[in-house]
Amino acid sequence: MAELTLTVNGNPVRSDCAPGTLLSGFLRETLHLTGTHVGCDTSQCGACTVIVDGRSIKSCTMLAHEADGASVTTIEGIANADGTLHPVQQAFRTHHALQCGFCTPGMVMASVALLARQPEPTDADVRHGLEGNMCRCTGYQNIVDAVLASAKSMKGVQA
Amino acid sequence: MNEFKFMRAATLADAAAAFEKADDARYLAGGQTLLPVMKQGLAVPSDVISLARIGELAGIAVSKERIDIGAMTRHADVAAHKEIRALLPALSVLAGGIGDPHVRNRGTIGGSLANNDPAADYPAAVLGLGATIVTDERTIAAEHYFQGLFATALEPGELITRVEFPVPRRAGYVKFPHPASRYALVGVMVSDGPHGIRVAVTGAGAGVFRVPAMEQALAKSFTPEAIADIPIADADLTSDRHGSAAYRAHLVGVLARRAVTLAASPAMHGHRS
Amino acid sequence: MNAPASFGKSQVRVEDQRFLKGQGRYIDDVNLPGQGYGAFVRSPHAHARVLSIDTSAAATMPGVLLIVTGAEWATQKFGPLPCRSPSKVNRDGTPFKDPARQCLVHDVARYVGEPVALVVAATAAAARSAADAVLVDYETLASVTDRGRAMAAGSAQLWPEAPQNLCLDFEQGKRADVESAMASAKHVIRLDLENNRLTAVPMEPRGAIADFDRATGQYTLWNSSQNIHANRDLMAAMLRIPKDKLHHLAPDIGGGFGGKNSVYAEPIVLLYAAGKLAHPVKWVADRTEAFLTDTHGRDQHSNVALALDDTGKFLALHVHSIGNVGAACGTMGPFTPTGGSARTQGGPYAIPAILYSAQAVFTNTVQTDPYRGAGRPEAVFHIERVIEFAARKLGIDPVELRRRNLIQPEQMPYTSGIGLAIDCGNFPAVMDRVIAMSDRPGYAARVTASAAKGLRRGFAVTPYLECSGGAPQEEAQLKFTSDGIVLLAVGTHSTGMGHETALAQIVGDRLGIDLHRIHFRQGDTAATKIGGGHGGSRGIELGGCAALKAADMVIDKARTIAAHALNSRADDIAFGKGKLTDSKTGQSMTIDGVIAAAGDQSRLPAGMSVGALDSTAVFDREMFTVPNGAHACEVEVDPETGVIRVVDFWAVDDFGSVINPMLADGQVMGGIVQGLGQALLEEVVYDSDSGQALTTSLLEYALPRADHVPRMKIEFYEGAPTKRNPLGAKGAGEAGCCGASPVIVNAVLDALNDYGVTHIDMPLTSEKVWRAISAGGKA
Repeated sequence: MAELTLTVNGNPVRSDCAPGTLLSGFLRETLHLTGTHVGCDTSQCGACTVIVDGRSIKSCTMLAHEADGASVTTIEGIANADGTLHPVQQAFRTHHALQCGFCTPGMVMASVALLARQPEPTDADVRHGLEGNMCRCTGYQNIVDAVLASAKSMKGVQA
Repeated sequence: MNEFKFMRAATLADAAAAFEKADDARYLAGGQTLLPVMKQGLAVPSDVISLARIGELAGIAVSKERIDIGAMTRHADVAAHKEIRALLPALSVLAGGIGDPHVRNRGTIGGSLANNDPAADYPAAVLGLGATIVTDERTIAAEHYFQGLFATALEPGELITRVEFPVPRRAGYVKFPHPASRYALVGVMVSDGPHGIRVAVTGAGAGVFRVPAMEQALAKSFTPEAIADIPIADADLTSDRHGSAAYRAHLVGVLARRAVTLAASPAMHGHRS
Repeated sequence: MNAPASFGKSQVRVEDQRFLKGQGRYIDDVNLPGQGYGAFVRSPHAHARVLSIDTSAAATMPGVLLIVTGAEWATQKFGPLPCRSPSKVNRDGTPFKDPARQCLVHDVARYVGEPVALVVAATAAAARSAADAVLVDYETLASVTDRGRAMAAGSAQLWPEAPQNLCLDFEQGKRADVESAMASAKHVIRLDLENNRLTAVPMEPRGAIADFDRATGQYTLWNSSQNIHANRDLMAAMLRIPKDKLHHLAPDIGGGFGGKNSVYAEPIVLLYAAGKLAHPVKWVADRTEAFLTDTHGRDQHSNVALALDDTGKFLALHVHSIGNVGAACGTMGPFTPTGGSARTQGGPYAIPAILYSAQAVFTNTVQTDPYRGAGRPEAVFHIERVIEFAARKLGIDPVELRRRNLIQPEQMPYTSGIGLAIDCGNFPAVMDRVIAMSDRPGYAARVTASAAKGLRRGFAVTPYLECSGGAPQEEAQLKFTSDGIVLLAVGTHSTGMGHETALAQIVGDRLGIDLHRIHFRQGDTAATKIGGGHGGSRGIELGGCAALKAADMVIDKARTIAAHALNSRADDIAFGKGKLTDSKTGQSMTIDGVIAAAGDQSRLPAGMSVGALDSTAVFDREMFTVPNGAHACEVEVDPETGVIRVVDFWAVDDFGSVINPMLADGQVMGGIVQGLGQALLEEVVYDSDSGQALTTSLLEYALPRADHVPRMKIEFYEGAPTKRNPLGAKGAGEAGCCGASPVIVNAVLDALNDYGVTHIDMPLTSEKVWRAISAGGKA
């Protein structure tokens, strides 16, 4: 066990965990933030996507200790303080961009990061930008539409 | 994952000392290959030494003739770097096509080259552009660095610190992604630069390799037509469910021609015509 | 306060709120106090005799609580994993072969990944380490994974009681008529087709937590299953416990597509372990376990023969298939390649005589069982590929050939050549509409534009016809609470389809209550007595109709209560828009007023007591419905590399009445993309020599990603609602993947027509396309 200090969803966290703990396991089991899902073992599916220091990463392929000192944002941390949804969450809802919901947290976090990088993406940009996230339910189209719509709704807001 | 000792090295010397002391240490760069391999139990190191905080491994330096990229530079940073995009867009394209955005936010050039996966993209850039690998002990020319399947010239404990890419007159990279993994089923880098004309192929064989017949033909005429009829022997190429050796050999030809077209296209190199 | 009618309107989903905030609760999020963790020891061999198991090293490892081996399992004499195939009689009248498959292997392992032992430990890591330390001595046996070789002389035999590995020799249809039509027809077009083996790959892997209370003898099983009631009954019977002593429930399910329908070995072994330990045991599959042990789908080879007269009229169809059922019968056993593929043979075409015959064979692979469509996509593929092939062979425009043979609306109701009773539909109108959507006039210019990029463009249109399926009975309950909430419990199971919203829409609309006041419960044997779960696109058709029936029971009782309050007679009370009105006096009462009265004994008429409004309805399906539609697409093929890009996709679907078009759109799009996956990317592969599984991770099994998928345009045809159920709904869940695979393959072959390429087997990988072009020899 070794100590680890970081910020998760704006809250300071200090914890002990084994060196072999993956960030996904740390979030789910130590912090009980179970919105981050694990859908594969090979860094393909993207259900575990979270944002570390502003960048989207696959939390199943990062040691928790590598996040020491970092700021981590998970699906639990992006809604507004009053509980209303983040524009990307809202757009996913309006556009029926989720069915079973399992890929959704990773998909939303990937989309948030994508829009930070590319505030005015095209349809093709979004499809390419989501290549690290798999969805088996929706056929992706409504996800793409949700991201394009949130780009519009966020325009100016986060400039 | 197995239990191991974890340490964050602050300097190259720290890292080397820790490596020396351990039974079976592994350096951790971006972890995009090492961690999956450890999860599967295929690597069981006693010690994992994180390189993330070593300042000497960070940074990109660009001059007109050379681009130096620190070993811990993430693929996303290479892809997004404005000066690299202007001087050597083929490298931006290559880095921007590795894995997916999340993998590119973690994976590093040094980690990729130290691992030397036969289907990784960076080996094609290093060999195809005639780059030099700089380690904590020496410099290694690309031709001497790659030694086949997951094998490199690195000695145990030796660390890549940066990679120096000479800026070519023109270059193009085209990748045919594996349909599932998105590694290169075949990737071809073609360049025309200070080290002459180079054609380097990744994904098709046990390691990155050059195609001298294409290089000679392109030296005479840097056009896709010049290499249209050059056969690629498939005897030593990889054959698997996603591409037989014959198909990979065919793709080498197609992608090389497309890479030449890209390299010659003013859109890619208008600034250096 | 009356809610506006939401029926038939797109309505954002109630369940999204928790899913979008990371508050969904999936199986790996369920934890019980004091739980141990299970890890399975699995056969590394395709076919091997277990000589001995040595657990001594594993048993002494830290944290190990229990090891259950196949030998111990055998001593318990539990029942084998059951098969519930509706198709079970060979064509000679003898019964099919259903060899006894045990939850843990005692004698012979018959596929890679078959469970041999369970280790339970204090942590998941300790369980895994100990499972790896269990030493199993195997004697490897010759294996066969390929269905084509399974019946050959000299092939490995899986079960002594099943010679030639034959499970079921099936036949349905008019053999004599078909044979005589084939003998005299002007044309008989023959085509051999592969239907590639797939796996559902729900993004959430399977998992379960079992618990046992020694004091009461009560078992509890949390299970990522989409078939809670039926599987409870089967598991309880296997374990010889009364079914009320097994509480089976599912949390949120992260996708199923059929892959979570079957009775699996793991939860049953967990129940046994929990019983022994008297504390909970949890297991969640990793992705490799999922690839090895989730049931697979499709995996058929078919010889298709279509007889036509000189005008292109279809006279007869004969399809003979060999289907791979895996190492033993899954829960539906040989059904999918036999009866399941027979039902909709011939599609929406008037074909007088149809014969479907099939042999279902055992191989050293994991069981196959229903995967989205379960035989109907296979049947659509048979007819649509052979029509396209015939059209090119005979020089008839493929659309025209289809048009000449579609069943006409005035022929309805129509009994198809295979015996499917089709009640309604307008197949020509549906096909014409999708053609109109696809901008045929602009096509030539698009071909030219593609050619300028060095690409070949192709187009195809494919009608499809399927039928709903699954359990024929469903229950819905409505309960009214004092705080104005209506509890709706159903036995259907949403694994993402949005029943929490759609069924609430049906009830809310009927009762005039805002759907947000309707709280939904599913997947719990304590919530409803019966439940048919998920499968066969039955959610709205059965769950919806049961919910509607329960709402109507509520209204009946509400009229009596209102009559009592208004000093009127129930017969005089009319109900509409959430209001009960005395037609004589004009006096009225809201449904909420009635709900309040129902909670107050003093306001109830004689014979009614508090809670009188609570209603339980059971809906019985009399006849399957027949969803249908037509899909069209355009593709671009790069002839140099063989790479295919689907560039446009149009669909017109007749699902009868559509409750929530947004959700129906979602079902269609998801289905289309799974069909695209089958057509272009996906294939489970076993090494035919060693029997080893080669597709054990997402690094090897290619799933469609966002950039594989074109923009899909979808419309619904609502001109032919079915009268077979009160909603007029036909079922939407599986249609997408019925139409997509054949239309994409046909469009690719259209693009390659100039190269002389007439057939390529799915998945159409770039190498196969490149080889076909090279072999075609034309340019």
